[in-house]
Amino acid sequence: MNRESLKLAAVFGLILVMLAVSGCGESRSQFAGTYRSVNPVGEKNYIDLELEESGKGTWTVAGSTTEFTWVVNDRKIWIYLKTGAIIIITPSGGGEELSADMTGEWHPGCPPNSCVTFKRVAKGG
Amino acid sequence: MTELGPGAYFGEVALVTGQPRTASVESLVETSLVKVSKEEFDRLLDHNPQLARHIIQQLSGWLVSGDRRLEEEVVHQVKLRQISWFDYALMVSLSLFLALIFNFYNDSGIPLIYGWGEKPSIPEISLGQALEIYQKNEATFVDARKSAFFTQQHIKGAQNLPEVLFPLMYPMFQYMVTQTEGAKDKPFIVYGGTLSRRFDVVLARLLKKKGFKQVQVLQDYGGWRKVFPLEGKPPVEAPSAPLGLAGYLEWVPVSIFLLILIPAVRRSPYLSIYCRLLVGVIFMSFALSKIMRPAVFALNVVDFGMMPSWGVDLWSLALPWAELVVGMFLVLGIRTRAAATLIAAMLLIFMVGLLHAIYLHLPINCGCVGEVGEPVTWWKMLKNTGMLVMCIQTFLYDRFLVLDRGGFIWRASAI
Repeated sequence: MNRESLKLAAVFGLILVMLAVSGCGESRSQFAGTYRSVNPVGEKNYIDLELEESGKGTWTVAGSTTEFTWVVNDRKIWIYLKTGAIIIITPSGGGEELSADMTGEWHPGCPPNSCVTFKRVAKGG
Repeated sequence: MTELGPGAYFGEVALVTGQPRTASVESLVETSLVKVSKEEFDRLLDHNPQLARHIIQQLSGWLVSGDRRLEEEVVHQVKLRQISWFDYALMVSLSLFLALIFNFYNDSGIPLIYGWGEKPSIPEISLGQALEIYQKNEATFVDARKSAFFTQQHIKGAQNLPEVLFPLMYPMFQYMVTQTEGAKDKPFIVYGGTLSRRFDVVLARLLKKKGFKQVQVLQDYGGWRKVFPLEGKPPVEAPSAPLGLAGYLEWVPVSIFLLILIPAVRRSPYLSIYCRLLVGVIFMSFALSKIMRPAVFALNVVDFGMMPSWGVDLWSLALPWAELVVGMFLVLGIRTRAAATLIAAMLLIFMVGLLHAIYLHLPINCGCVGEVGEPVTWWKMLKNTGMLVMCIQTFLYDRFLVLDRGGFIWRASAI
């Protein structure tokens, strides 16, 4: 292996290590589970939020389901949609209650006019 | 330094040249020394051609090896200063290659060109016609932009349904429509497209899929500001999220403004090492914060509204990889001058974007370090200017701790 190949190998190796490190996040286990919105959207449609420990999840409302991925970052849940939008959720009560900031921006708390509150429910319930 | 043994001699250079001695000698053990004066030495050489030849050979050997060392060092320094198109081609092609391969295997990958091949199936309405309908209250106006843009300014009475949050927000929008008297039967006029993304067209298409029959988009997507009555709130600075180590690290380049005031430090290659490593690490951390989810970074690019829509995804894929690769070249000391100019070019582009956003009071996230919560401010400009100065210093004076261009150079060495 010549010197140029060694240099390129060093660059690739470092990239792989950094990607692996950057891919690691905080544990999801505490927040994985099924949640339901406290208030309905409209008159009767509640939002069901499913957070799987694998990092995948679903948002179901009025029979329409949207898939997303999620991570835990600095004790907040970050939901990533396919469109590139991010919903930041603040957990409370040890993960029993979640407040979702529907502005799609970062705020220190959940803005009252754009906040959807969820409570943990038993799976299927 | 060397060690001499029995029969060896020293000081012959001074005897031949008549110059002061070039070396000193210290005895390690009990030694018998024969002192030869200049006259005796000349006489010895006159009568002993074999000795004369031996001394000439030794002196010539030293000259040749000294010359060779000098040449190597000069070539080394010249190579360090060299810069070629190949350096740029190498870094850019490596970044593009890695970006495309990674995007192909990434679960969160994005299309290379957003909306490529989609036909414009949504009818458009002229601003004049739309205004007439607006004045008669015969249509529902829907703003397809993010809520921060909508809050800042929108057509008076319009509803906000951010296209990027459509899957989550649509049920609420639908409920609002059913609750607003007559809204269900009115046509929908969607607006909010930009140069970088036609949110209006995409949202109109999604509404049509949901069964809304009368959906149109405004012609001249930016023209509504001049024609319609507007409402909104004055711009406020977006809250900033804690960015962790990368956020603090980004402040360090500001130190360059003090360091370059010290004449002895300004041109130091050791300052170049500091600049190179710092800028390299910062760029690598920038890259890693956005490389995994290009769709998020693409939306940040769209927010600036400067990139044509066909280039947004390509730019969003390639830029983080370019930051990572070029940052790594700087840290490892490979083709550092070319790497410094590439980073300087990126910084200049970022600064133009920042100035544009500050001037227009855009309610956007910088998209530099984190994915959200990094407001666009003059502080950000200052940090970027610091990094730009660091790149210039590296370009001009970097020559130590480099892996490339003729071997590893640890420190300055006397020739």
